[in-house]
Parts: sequence; structure tokens; C-alpha cells
Amino acid sequence: MKQHTLSKTAERIYWLGRYLERAESTARLINVNGNLLIDLPRRIPLAWTSLIDIMGTRAHFNQLYDTPDERNVVRYLTVDQNNGGSLLVSLSMARENARTIREIMPRVAFEYINDLYLYAKDRATGTLSRSRTSELMDGVMRRVQHIAGFLSGTMVHGDTWSFLRIGEFLERADMTTRIIDVRSVDMLEQTDGLEPYSQLQWRSVLRSLHALQAYQLAVQEPIQQPLVQQFLFKNENLPRSLAYCTSRIRSSLRSLPRNQKPLTAINRVIRFLESVEVSTLKGAQLHAFIDDCQLRLAQLDREIDRTYFHARLRVAQEQTQTQSQSPSQSPS
Amino acid sequence: MPIDWSEYQATGIWDELVTDRGRPRAGATNLCRMLSRLSDDELAARKTAAEVAIRTMGITFTVYTGEGSGSIDREWPFDIIPRMVVKSEWDVIAKGLRQRVNALNRFIDDVYHEQRILDDNVVPRELIVKSKDFRPECMGVSPAHGVWSHVCGTDLVRDADGTVYVLEDNLRVPSGVSYMLENREVMKRVFPELFEDYRILPIDDYADQLLRTLRSLSPRKVKSPEVVVLTPGIYNSAYFEHAYLAQAMACELVEGPDLVVGKDDCVYMRTIEGLIRVDVIYRRIDDLFLDPKLFRADSMIGVPGLMRAWRAGNVALANAPGCGVADDKVIYTYVPEIIRYYTGEDPILPNVPSYRCVDKDSRDYVIEHIDKMVVKPANESGGYGMLIGPKSTKAEREKFVRQILANPRNYMAQPMLILSSAPTLVNNRAEPRHLDLRPFILSGAATYVTTGGLTRVAMRKGSTVVNSSQGGGSKDTWIVDVE
Repeated sequence: MKQHTLSKTAERIYWLGRYLERAESTARLINVNGNLLIDLPRRIPLAWTSLIDIMGTRAHFNQLYDTPDERNVVRYLTVDQNNGGSLLVSLSMARENARTIREIMPRVAFEYINDLYLYAKDRATGTLSRSRTSELMDGVMRRVQHIAGFLSGTMVHGDTWSFLRIGEFLERADMTTRIIDVRSVDMLEQTDGLEPYSQLQWRSVLRSLHALQAYQLAVQEPIQQPLVQQFLFKNENLPRSLAYCTSRIRSSLRSLPRNQKPLTAINRVIRFLESVEVSTLKGAQLHAFIDDCQLRLAQLDREIDRTYFHARLRVAQEQTQTQSQSPSQSPS
Repeated sequence: MPIDWSEYQATGIWDELVTDRGRPRAGATNLCRMLSRLSDDELAARKTAAEVAIRTMGITFTVYTGEGSGSIDREWPFDIIPRMVVKSEWDVIAKGLRQRVNALNRFIDDVYHEQRILDDNVVPRELIVKSKDFRPECMGVSPAHGVWSHVCGTDLVRDADGTVYVLEDNLRVPSGVSYMLENREVMKRVFPELFEDYRILPIDDYADQLLRTLRSLSPRKVKSPEVVVLTPGIYNSAYFEHAYLAQAMACELVEGPDLVVGKDDCVYMRTIEGLIRVDVIYRRIDDLFLDPKLFRADSMIGVPGLMRAWRAGNVALANAPGCGVADDKVIYTYVPEIIRYYTGEDPILPNVPSYRCVDKDSRDYVIEHIDKMVVKPANESGGYGMLIGPKSTKAEREKFVRQILANPRNYMAQPMLILSSAPTLVNNRAEPRHLDLRPFILSGAATYVTTGGLTRVAMRKGSTVVNSSQGGGSKDTWIVDVE
């Protein structure tokens, strides 16, 4: 007898993957921004707001806070319960999703995820100094990586594993495009006549994606916009490049049943990416390209949701009233 | 100091391992000798090993901690000294359990069909129709093999003279079997050498037997029917067990929203492959939450239309809805008559002597001796709403007398038994603690009785409360072949 993967289980592990990845990305962004500040001249007010823009929640932030200074932004991104994308909310959602699928993961995985949440919650209180923040973000990243490695090394690589991976890579692809999008606008506004700092900022983009060393090894050229863009969008071996993420999603989807529509959606992203010469994109063109990528990723997410998580009853149109209760969806 | 059995005092109690002269009972000699040879340190080390095993195996039960904070998982409390029953005695008990559950299933089937037993006045009709567990919605439904209670957990106790009594029948959704299985696993890790000295009958075929029983209920005659375990969810106190059994049977563990009933009156589960028809649901939620269309409309854990599908014969529910009608403290007093009525045999296992407050003579007797009785309401479980006469205050007794007089049908009373004990490790010493035993009986195409069952032990001195939520522990239960 073959055991079937429940829609609910697939949905929850998919969101577990997304939230863990989101937590790691957020932690890295905060740290990289802090480092970048140290290197920039004082006359450039390196906006902490750009972190808010990467998350796409500027209006929401402005409702809650008066000034977009470091203290408020870091608070908003780490501990603020009102921010559905804050680090703590992501970790708490990861935990809630994991809690209900303890049976399909190695038993101890839930404990690790629970510990991670408690670790962050116990430390992320009040206002943290920059060094304490940095330490906490490092701790979060390290723990997420530990969990990801543990799951990879112990989980059966079957259907549920595929959903974890799809969630992880979809979130990562989304984050990569957001970071490039917002950072490239930063550059345009602020680096006119300040060439050395342009290089510095592209360096921080690479850092935000943990890709600086990889760039140096793979590209072997000084850091410059066309090469960085080419590298982050199209490199097939870089774990955070758009090309890599989408190809991982495709291979995970291939192992799943009823994958026709989701596969069509991912192929659309991949073909679009292949069709565009990304290295020379600048300004509005770059922004439009990223918008298109994100739109296609969102379509893929909808297709996965429709195909696997909300199997419609074809024999009758009877609705159960409790679907909205699942903890899986993002509150934002 | 190592355990010295001659100092072990279980005065006035039947002890399961040691006689009142400090001698091991038949079969317990090796165990007692082995325990008394362990130094304090070794004994403490074994206890720690058991605790570590329970933690790493993740054996937990859920305790409600009150409003807001929800619930927490606690590690399962376990005592490393096993409880022992010799096979020859167990065989008789098992036979008695089969007889009893078989009769109870025929009784339930009768109640929802011809009601012969009511016509013949063996059980008063009024008792049934006024029972809050009688479900008119179940009238005329014919579950496979005429069986309604597929998984029954019967609580047994032993009195001071050694007699084993049935304390109650849990016919609805009894829990505890996963702990019975895990206790054995822990025991094997902690005292592997004991399993070489003894012929301890194995218990680990339970999940296979349960799956076999459930499959035998399938309305579709297919090679491998689709069986699922339906749980109220992770916050239920028995969630560990639901997950454990689903895993052991390689079945899906589903919650209400995972299932849907089609216009064809069949039940489907939502999977990544689409909708898959379900044949048998081992449901671990109460009747009234099963189907918000028929019972409680506010149930978020049920499946709308489930009763319709069940009545149409398109899905089997184990246990069947409505079987709680026979799991009522007052009906309990009729079980000996029920056994005689359906089987023509005398009961093999006795009931605890019971007084029905609905009969005037019994009622007068109960009220007169209320300070020595245990008074139970008809349909509460888990020890709620009971009066324990010898431990009650005057005001409590007076309150119960008023309640009995106001609603005599709702009460029965029993003399206070002195539950048997077994040596239990307390601060590294063996002390007698009271215990009970819950074997599980599976009924489908065939009947199966677990070898032994779950032994629950009251960890506090003198206490007879064995519930884990109230400080009860548990022991591995050995059926040993000493011939």
C-alpha cells in the first residue's frame, strides 16, 4: 500500500521551506547592511529604508514608525509582531507549520526548529546594539543552515521533500530578484560621481546573497554591474542565482504527480530568463525585467497552490469551512 | 542499599509480585532476585536510562496548562519494574474479555435494530432511550460483521483477595495502546538481560492486528482498502498515539478538513494526487464532533456529511457512532445479564458488585452506606463527577445524596475496592503502589486480545488515581509462560 501525501502536509512543508529561507535571508540582509554602513562615507545616508523596500512593505512601515532609522528598521524586520515578514514571525510560522508535520520529518527536526524560534525570541527583545544584532543574525543563519542540512541528510527524498525544496527555492528566487531590484535603484540615486562606492555597493549585493567569494572564484574579474547581474541571474552553479533556483524547482516538480501546469509555469520563468540579455540591463529596463520575473514566479506559486494544496472536489462542490484555519499562509 | 524484599510491605493489599510474607510470587523469582542484586547506583542508572530512552524516542503525552498557554508535551512517566501476570491466568482473562466484548457488540447491534433485549425486559427500555449516548441516527444501520465497538479498552482491577474484576468498558475511543507498545520498547533497552531469563509473550503485532481488523470493515472489496486515522489535531491529549498508530500501520493521519464527502456519498481525502477514496476511518474523535451537519454544528474537527456516507454504507467508521450507549456506568451493571442473554453462558470475568440507584432497595442501601461507597454518574469518564465515599467530606456526601434522589437513573455505586499493588521505584526504593490494567480488544472479522495491556500505576502513596494527567505512571506488563 502506497502512502498518499495529504494536500495539507504538502502545503505545510512547502511553507516551512519558505519561512526558513525567508528567516535566513532576512538575517543576512540585516547583517550585510550593517557592514556596508561602516564602509560608506557619512554624506551618503545609506538608507535603512532600502531594507524595507526589499521586503516591499514601506507603506506599512510608515504607518507604524516615525523615522526610518536603524533602530526602527531593525526592530521592524526582526521582532515586530505586526510585520508579517519579520524574522520572529517567520520563525514562528516555520515552527507552527513544522509542528503539524512532525510525523513526516525525523522526529528531532521539530525540536531543532522549535529551539531556533526560542533562541531568537529569547534574544530579540527591546533594542539591540549593532554587535548584539549581528551576533543574533549570525546565530539564526547558522541554525537555519543546520536544520536545512539535517533535513537534507535524514529525510526521505520523496514527495514531501520535493515540496520543502520548492518552497525554499521559490522564496530564494524571489529574494534574489528583490535584492537586485532595490539595490540597483540605490546605486542610481546615490553613486553619481562616486565610482569607488558603486563597486562597494555591488559588493554588498553579492554579500547579501552570500555570493562574494563565489563571484571572485567563478568570474575572476573586478566587481562591476554587468558581470554581477549576469552572475546573479544566470550562473547555473550559484545556489542563490535565479537560474539555479528555477532549475531546482523544475527538477523537484518533475518528480511530483500531476505536475503539468506547475511545470508549464516554471518553464515560462526559465525560458523568459534565458531570452533576456541581463548584463546590460539598467534602470527602468532592469526594474521591468525583474517585475516580469516576479510576476511569473507568483504565477508558479498560484499554480502549485491550486494543483496540490486545494484539490477541488470534482464529484461534488461541497466546501469544508475550515480551510482558512491552516497556519501555512503568510499573514502579510 | 539494594532492594531487600523481606522489608517490602504491602500489608492488606494483593501485591502482583510479592506475597505478604516477602516472597516472590510464581514466576517473579528471577525478576526479584535480579532487582535485589542491583546496587543503588545500578538501579538509579537503569532508571535514568529509561528516562533518556523516553526522551529520545519522543514518547510524550499532552497536558492542558490552561487558558491561553494551551498545552505542553510531557515525557511519559514510566516505572522500570514490570508488572507480571502468569499465562495460565491471563488465558482465562483473555477468554473472559472476548466473551464480554462479543456480548456487548451484539447488545449494541440489537439496540439499533430489533431491540429484543428491551422487549424482553432484561435491560429497561427507559434506560436506553433516555441515555444521552443513544443515537436515534444509528437505528437500522448495519456495520460490517455486526460489530460496533472495534477497539475496546477494558479496565481491570484486582481486589485484596486476588479476584480480577472488570471496572469499566471503554467502547468509544479508548486510548493508551501506544504507551503499552512503547513501554515494552523502553524495557527492552533498559533490561535486555531479563528478556533472556523469561518467556515473555510478545506484544508487537498490535499494529498489524489493528490494520487487519480495520481492513476487514471495508465496504469496497479491494485488495488494499484505504484506511486512515482521523485525529482532532495536535492539541489533543492523545495526539501522540494517533500519530504513532498511523505511522505503525502506514496509514494517513488526517484531520477533518483533509476529508470531504461527495455527492455520491463517498468519503475522499485531499492529496497531492487529487481526491482519493477512503474506505475505513479509524476515528479518534467523539461522536458529537464527527459530522457538523448532523451533530454539533460548531465542530471544526469533523467532516460534513460523514454520517450520511456511513449510513449509506460507503465508509466504515471504527468505532461506529452510537456504541457509547453500552459504555455507561449504569448499563455496566447489566453486563452480566447481557452476556447471559446473548451467549447463554455465565460471565467469565465478574463485574465489581454494583448498586443501581434506580432500584429503591439499592438506593436506600447506597445512601445509608455512602461513606463506604464509590458513587459514579452514568456517563462521565476519566474519573469526573465521582464520589469516593471514604475520602469525601460530609458536605460532598450530602450533595451526592441530593443528586441521587433527584436523578436516580443517573447513578450507580460500588463498594470501595482495595486495588492491588506492585513494587514501584520511589527514591530508589521499591514501594507498593496501586495499579490497574487496560487490555485492548479488537473486533472485526475476527477478535484479538492484546497480550497483557497497559498497566497504569498511581505514583503517590496510597493513591488509586492512575490517570497520567493526574500524576499516574505506567509499567511494562509481562504475560509470562512459567510452565
